[in-house]
Amino acid sequence: MTTKETTVKDQVRQFVTEELAAAKGVTVVSDDESLIENGVVDSLGIFRLVTFLEENFGVKIGDEEISAENLQSVNMIEQLVLSKGKK
Amino acid sequence: MAYILQQLLSKSAKRFPEKTAVWARGRSISYRELDERSNQLAHLLVQSGVRKGDRVGIFFPKCVESVISMFAVVKAGGVYVPLDPAAPVDRVGYIISNCGIRVLITQDEKRRSLDAATRESLDRCVIVDKARESGNGTGVVPWSALAEFSAVDAPQVTLTETDLAYILYTSGSTGRPKGVMLTHQNALTFVEWCADKFQITHEDRLSNHAPLHFDLSVFDVYNAIEAGATVYLVTEEIALFPTTLQKFMETHQISIWYSVPSALVLLLLHADLKAEKLPRLRTILFAGEVFPMKYLKQLAELLPAVELDNLYGPTETNVCTYYRVDRERLASMDKLPIGIACENTEVFAVNDQDEIVTGPGQSGELYVRGPSVTYGYWGDVEKTQKMVVPNRFQPNFEEKIYRTGDLVTLAEDGNYYFVGRRDSMIKSRGYRIELGEIESALLSHPGVREAAAIAVPDEVVGNRIKAVVAAHQPDTLDATALQQHCAARIPKYMIPELIEFRSTLPKTSTGKVDRVGLSRDSQPIAV
Repeated sequence: MTTKETTVKDQVRQFVTEELAAAKGVTVVSDDESLIENGVVDSLGIFRLVTFLEENFGVKIGDEEISAENLQSVNMIEQLVLSKGKK
Repeated sequence: MAYILQQLLSKSAKRFPEKTAVWARGRSISYRELDERSNQLAHLLVQSGVRKGDRVGIFFPKCVESVISMFAVVKAGGVYVPLDPAAPVDRVGYIISNCGIRVLITQDEKRRSLDAATRESLDRCVIVDKARESGNGTGVVPWSALAEFSAVDAPQVTLTETDLAYILYTSGSTGRPKGVMLTHQNALTFVEWCADKFQITHEDRLSNHAPLHFDLSVFDVYNAIEAGATVYLVTEEIALFPTTLQKFMETHQISIWYSVPSALVLLLLHADLKAEKLPRLRTILFAGEVFPMKYLKQLAELLPAVELDNLYGPTETNVCTYYRVDRERLASMDKLPIGIACENTEVFAVNDQDEIVTGPGQSGELYVRGPSVTYGYWGDVEKTQKMVVPNRFQPNFEEKIYRTGDLVTLAEDGNYYFVGRRDSMIKSRGYRIELGEIESALLSHPGVREAAAIAVPDEVVGNRIKAVVAAHQPDTLDATALQQHCAARIPKYMIPELIEFRSTLPKTSTGKVDRVGLSRDSQPIAV
């Protein structure tokens, strides 16, 4: 694993844990856990997450990319960001 | 004419046996299967000890088995209680104990999530997914056991329209949820009104966006079944993502949509709704909160041929008034009315002098009378007597009317307009939230001395929630710990997003917490 990958995942995990999960009373979020099933993201949380990813990583996420396939877990969010960086 | 809900299914199962009744998570069942499976489950429930009037919990994320379970419980003569699969264990345990649920239809994982005392209080759990081989304990029955029971008819039970059909739990101001009791007649009064008003046919395709513990789903499920139409259940993985939701509407060619306005606002803001991609969409119904006019106008413009209806009514009356959006008037309107009473329902506003409001421009609390009105709250005589009251406006016979707690104004055009609440109940994403329930959750933390929950108006979801807390010992509490404490007691949509700490809460001259002052000068919630 490269340093860059670790950094992206760490930052995503930190945002999810501190900004989204904490306010829902959830303290531990594993990297492959579904953020939908555990109730960490709600309809506003999704867009806070997208704004964070766009501002923090300088990527553009289209409305059609805002889906369970891309944003379900910390691992999937990391993949989405990395796939954009490679383009 | 049907007088109990299961008659809607038997009628449609005879007319359209092979037609799809319910679709969810990529699976569907025909009317014949829905009728047969619910017969079998009803027999299993009776064998499990369910008798007329007994409460049966339904506790799993929605899928085709949810609808099978709803019909099975009423066919067994029981009363179903949909339990929010995302609610904290403590709250689910409270509801199970509050209304005396002894038989639960659930998933293996959901059953295991319950606390030991709750699990032990149950006589039987019917497991909709595959039960694990070991350690199931006594009283756990797998779904496959249905095969042992007769599919051809339902158990023999005598029911009338005045028997209870289901109980919906909603936020309670004293810190615990309260169970609104609904009869077959309550539900059918609404279902039959909708069938007529919206002319639903077997060719319609209805969405079900609301959770099944939320009364909006009564329309989706029962009106689809009444008409022999198909209902498509929207699950969380779809509902959370506007583009996915839009594709769902397109793929299934939904013709009648019903949801809270905030779901539609998110579709407007983050999806690409196009009339040409939704050629069958003919009616959009919305309820549960006020639709911001700006977005309603956008929706009307985007979907020029779709009829838009604002439905209004607390769970206690299902729906009692409606307003069909007048497109010509819409451009000049700055507020949407809640409209006029549904047929077979009477509404009136009562002013502070305890007189019925008759003239335009006058305001009062909205009262509802008619066959859609609840008996009251399960096991709570005091609360029932406060809200479901004798009709003092006519002397000839005894009847009950429901006081909504909503303040309304009667306008010149004959429509009622919602003005506000008498108490501290708010709406967020259409959910009823008693700020007192949030405050109780905060105050149950031993470190909290005072707490005030505050609603912050939000254009998309109606309201967001923050709290101001004073601790017994300064600097001993942090927001995360308190949010975690709340998460064990109240649903996630009720947890304050932001908690501000103060040494003491400001009071009004009468010694009450000054909510108005607090909402003005407390910290804003980050966007």
